[in-house]
Amino acid sequence: MSTPRTSWDTYRDIEVSFKVNGREVKVRVKPYERLIDVLRNKLGLLSVKEGCGRGECGACVVIMNGKLIPTCLTLAVRAEGSEILTLEGIAPEGKLHAIQKALLDTYSMQCGFCFPGVIMASKYLLDKNPDPTEDEIRDALDGNLCRCGSYLRFIKAVKLASRYIREGKIFFDESEVLR
Amino acid sequence: MFRFDVYVPRDLRDALEASKIYGEELLPIGGGTDLLVLYRQGLVKFRILLDLWPLRNELSYVKLEGGSVKIGALTTINELESSELLKDKRFAGLRDACRGFASPFIKSVATVGGNVGAAHPLSDIAITLLTYDANVRLKSLEGERVIPLKSFYLDKRKTVRRSDELITEVIFKEPPSNASSAYLKLDRRIGHGMGYVAVSVYAELDDRLIREIRIAFDSMGRAFPERALRTEDSLRGKELSEDNISRAVHDVLPKEMNRISDYRASAEYRLYLSQVLLKRALLEVGRRVGG
Amino acid sequence: MSSVPEYYKIIEEVFEKYKDKEFLFVGRHSQRWDSVEKIKGRALFTADFAKLYSNLVYVHSVRTKYAHALIKSIDVSEASKYPGVLKVITAKDIPGINDVGYVIPDQPLIAERKVRYVGDIIALVVAENPLVAREASELIEVEYEPLPVITNPLDVVDLMTLREKPHTLIHDERGSDVLVHFKIRRGDVERAMREADVRVEGVYKTPFQEHAYMEPEASIAIPEPEGSVTVIASTQCPFDVRKAVAKVLGLTLNKVRIVVPAVGGGFGGKEDVANEVAAKAALAAVLTGRPALVVHTREESIIGHSKRHPAIAWYRHAAKRDGTLLAVEANIVMDGGAYASLGPFVPWRATVHATGPYKVQSARVDVVRVYTNNVYSGAFRGFGNPQVIFAVERQMDLLAEELGMDPVELRLKNILRVGDETVHGQKLTEEHGVGLEEAVIKAVEASRWFELRRRYSEITGPIRRGIGIALFYHGNSIGVEGADYSSVTLIINRDGSITIRTGLTEFGQGSTWGLALIAAEILGVPPSYFKIENPDTSATPDAGPTVASRATVMGGAATVVAAYKLRKRLNEVASHILGCDPDDVVIRAPDVYCSSDPSRRTKWADVVEQSFWLGVPLQEFGYYRAPRALWDEETGQGAPYITYTFGAIIADVEVDIETGLVRVNKIYTAYDIGKVINKMGAELNAEGGAIQALGYALMEELIHDKEGRVSNPNLSTYYIPTIKDVPEIIPIWVEAKYKKGPLGAKGFGEPSFNAVAAAIANAVAHAIKANVTELPVTPERVYTILKSKQKI
Repeated sequence: MSTPRTSWDTYRDIEVSFKVNGREVKVRVKPYERLIDVLRNKLGLLSVKEGCGRGECGACVVIMNGKLIPTCLTLAVRAEGSEILTLEGIAPEGKLHAIQKALLDTYSMQCGFCFPGVIMASKYLLDKNPDPTEDEIRDALDGNLCRCGSYLRFIKAVKLASRYIREGKIFFDESEVLR
Repeated sequence: MFRFDVYVPRDLRDALEASKIYGEELLPIGGGTDLLVLYRQGLVKFRILLDLWPLRNELSYVKLEGGSVKIGALTTINELESSELLKDKRFAGLRDACRGFASPFIKSVATVGGNVGAAHPLSDIAITLLTYDANVRLKSLEGERVIPLKSFYLDKRKTVRRSDELITEVIFKEPPSNASSAYLKLDRRIGHGMGYVAVSVYAELDDRLIREIRIAFDSMGRAFPERALRTEDSLRGKELSEDNISRAVHDVLPKEMNRISDYRASAEYRLYLSQVLLKRALLEVGRRVGG
Repeated sequence: MSSVPEYYKIIEEVFEKYKDKEFLFVGRHSQRWDSVEKIKGRALFTADFAKLYSNLVYVHSVRTKYAHALIKSIDVSEASKYPGVLKVITAKDIPGINDVGYVIPDQPLIAERKVRYVGDIIALVVAENPLVAREASELIEVEYEPLPVITNPLDVVDLMTLREKPHTLIHDERGSDVLVHFKIRRGDVERAMREADVRVEGVYKTPFQEHAYMEPEASIAIPEPEGSVTVIASTQCPFDVRKAVAKVLGLTLNKVRIVVPAVGGGFGGKEDVANEVAAKAALAAVLTGRPALVVHTREESIIGHSKRHPAIAWYRHAAKRDGTLLAVEANIVMDGGAYASLGPFVPWRATVHATGPYKVQSARVDVVRVYTNNVYSGAFRGFGNPQVIFAVERQMDLLAEELGMDPVELRLKNILRVGDETVHGQKLTEEHGVGLEEAVIKAVEASRWFELRRRYSEITGPIRRGIGIALFYHGNSIGVEGADYSSVTLIINRDGSITIRTGLTEFGQGSTWGLALIAAEILGVPPSYFKIENPDTSATPDAGPTVASRATVMGGAATVVAAYKLRKRLNEVASHILGCDPDDVVIRAPDVYCSSDPSRRTKWADVVEQSFWLGVPLQEFGYYRAPRALWDEETGQGAPYITYTFGAIIADVEVDIETGLVRVNKIYTAYDIGKVINKMGAELNAEGGAIQALGYALMEELIHDKEGRVSNPNLSTYYIPTIKDVPEIIPIWVEAKYKKGPLGAKGFGEPSFNAVAAAIANAVAHAIKANVTELPVTPERVYTILKSKQKI
């Protein structure tokens, strides 16, 4: 969708092409736009949350080119040619990723606002380290603030998820969620 | 103006040209973890950002070359931490600094050059590099200069870098086999934090004899990291003993360190903590060299 | 009204019926109705709705330069002309009344005559783009006449006399900066002090605490036909927001609709600020005719919404040699910051709880709350109780030390048990459910208290260890603060699925899911059949605010009433189908059968369908009004709360003597919350409350400089616990049921926070063998304490 030019809108549009959750996208961004704004407002990937805008809370993290990055501190132009994974893309439609299943199985949900960031940070950890110790989990999630205090559950969930994954169970049907 | 433009360079030369043309209106951005926060607070103004990320293929490396360790300015903290080189105990302090640097996703994008160029006292990598007696390579269209890190800072948030220059690498002499280092900081929580104070110690030891020692703190009195030269002198050539450590920490350090009081901590506590952490760092280096 | 309302009878009947039963759903783990959508990141929080509106405008709040000043003039002409700006709103543009105060009307939405703290708003810039709005705001010219800034509440009143000192009044329109003064006068304190064998006194300080919920404040207002407005708001109190927005816009209540989507944390912080945020959005929407978004940055959130009241508390305890408490005296000054917010109520709760969960023969308590130019104080989990618990529990430990008694023994000697009178003269009975002693005993046992208390004292070396205990009680719901009622509508849909409508909000605590579990149990239908609708002032009943640990106990009671009535009707229909007595009907959806003859059976869907054909309505409105609280203003005697939640917390810590850094290893939390309804919610609440309180104990304090500016308005300088700070947390449950509560349940939202910081402080004091009188116990404070005792 191209924004009609108005007199306040004197900055040029830059076309950025990248892949997000496996899909090729082409968006027009302003030079000052942040990746979080593009992912949320232009691409509708609302799982990416803004908790602080300063890289201090972890709510906005996604995996870009295999790295966990803070989208609130990333310029949109940096997405050019990259591959981005958000929470919307970690499991096929109708399925849950092992980390999501594990978080539900450990009954860790409070307000849920920090969860997308926590899930992405957990995925980043498990992708590199399939069987992390408790200390390694704490280090990996150190940047994800959860004010409701589900931290102990995160540790249990990541351990459980790592077990699921090592057993070959990466995706689950929603119907398998413990009620 | 809070809106700005971005210049995306093709390569280093292109970036240097843009720096020359736009001068003070342009600021280079690495990871953005420092600059974009300052911008958000209204503490820094610019019309154009020079996106350094396309230069990563040229300026991201950790290598040993010709007896020197060279680290590209656009090496991220994660890349530095996981580099082969840092597995060596001679660089243990650098590893400490990387580990406690910040949360994992900040370490993904924050750069060595950014940490050096930030000119903020609590810059973990810069403090540690000071103890490796590192130099900073600045490039411009005119050529390049190599400035010792210990002469790089002028004031808080001010360095000798001209607006048409870019930091391209830090470089220091490869340490001998009897060297190691340690970096410590402490804050009011176990989770990641800036630290009230931070100290880096580098030493070369023969048994317990201190052949060479370099100590740097987040601040010795000015608003940027500096070496504790008199404290170093009091230990150089001596034995790493409890008495010598005690003398250095209790008698010498307070003479050359001036701490400030602010809402985070008092000058008295900062000095006291600097002493405790220096002692612990010295002992840790002793253990590390010992094997 | 001479007869007992029907709903009391229903609550008691249901309590009796279920008290010894094995529950199917209540008290068991179950997945909340919104868990899956949140785990997928699909649940929409307020700011997410912005994506749905294509012609949204952005509202930027322009804040004052000074913490205390008169506004001489304001010129927004240049800013109004800035390209991309639609309108710059000032106080004179407000069509209704310029006030968003939650309890008293002392808080302008947009400052007009003066500003009183750094978060005060002087104008709203409405623009096409948030950065444009910010750019334009720099063109606003304001002429201020700065006034002296007061950041120390003891510059407003004297701690020992509580008399107001001469100073430049912040609320000059009120003639005084003392907002409220609450008292307890019981027995003969002077005599008790004279006759006591020991006396202990001290001054205790607690800081401003920031809620730091992960979702910053947000509202989206959509202009509706005929001057109406709908506001999507991140709030705990939709009906209060509606009142505030209607007031600011000059509309009747039915022209304002507030909808609450997923909310990312509240903790009391979203009790009143949503009045301001929603009003700003609504104003912009109505004046521009376009949907308007207000989202606070984290910094704005920190400087711009209420905080926990700091308290400075002088206490004196008197006791007999055998440990019996004779008297407690206290003078407490609470820093209210610039506006009242929930300030008329917080000091009241503090006063009620000021002597702790103990039998106290004589007491003199005076609590005042004053205005300063700091960020205003309001509601925060605990609501005045954590502040007094810290002081009281430190005092108890000092008393124990003075008497040579173990801290647990001293407490057991004085705790409230069934049959005892509280310091307000309220007799606690079996009906209230008093599980404090059991909680203490269980916590002591689980933590190996006596062994470790002795063993840790003997440790020398750089790492010391300590174990500390703190007890508390917490009155459920709002006491005398207002009319205490709640309501729920249960609707069984034609296909057998069930809808719950209530004005109570879900922001992570899971209490509305507890309502579903209660209804599930009484109806005999699995929780998975239930969906809880978003609170919506046009569609869900006013259930009172989601505050004061009242959602389960009050909303639950309303749910019991509705479910009970529905069940009766369903039983009638089923008995008609199956041919057995209505009381004989067993519902275990999807099955329904006769208990005397299970072969007579049908399906839930059939019973529901038959009800439609028989003309039996399957929706029911449940209403519950709490028994009136009693409180004498002069003496503090009466029955302030309907019941109390009790708890005992034991913390096991280690302290690095050299650096002063404290590390908590274990926290044992033993709570009596009556019948546990939502087991998962209760466990999470216990863990989460302990973690938030660990922050309060060790690292959190919002600091103002002398100009009233906040020194640490972001999450890298205002530290909250990360995953690395969290110890092992062992929850223990004691179920001393509240007979007048839903299935015996009591409230838990705040109790899970209340005494943890005090327990940690007591443990640190044990470890360093020195007195701790101030929170947070930062490394520097430990250093200072040890240095003053020449221990380092």
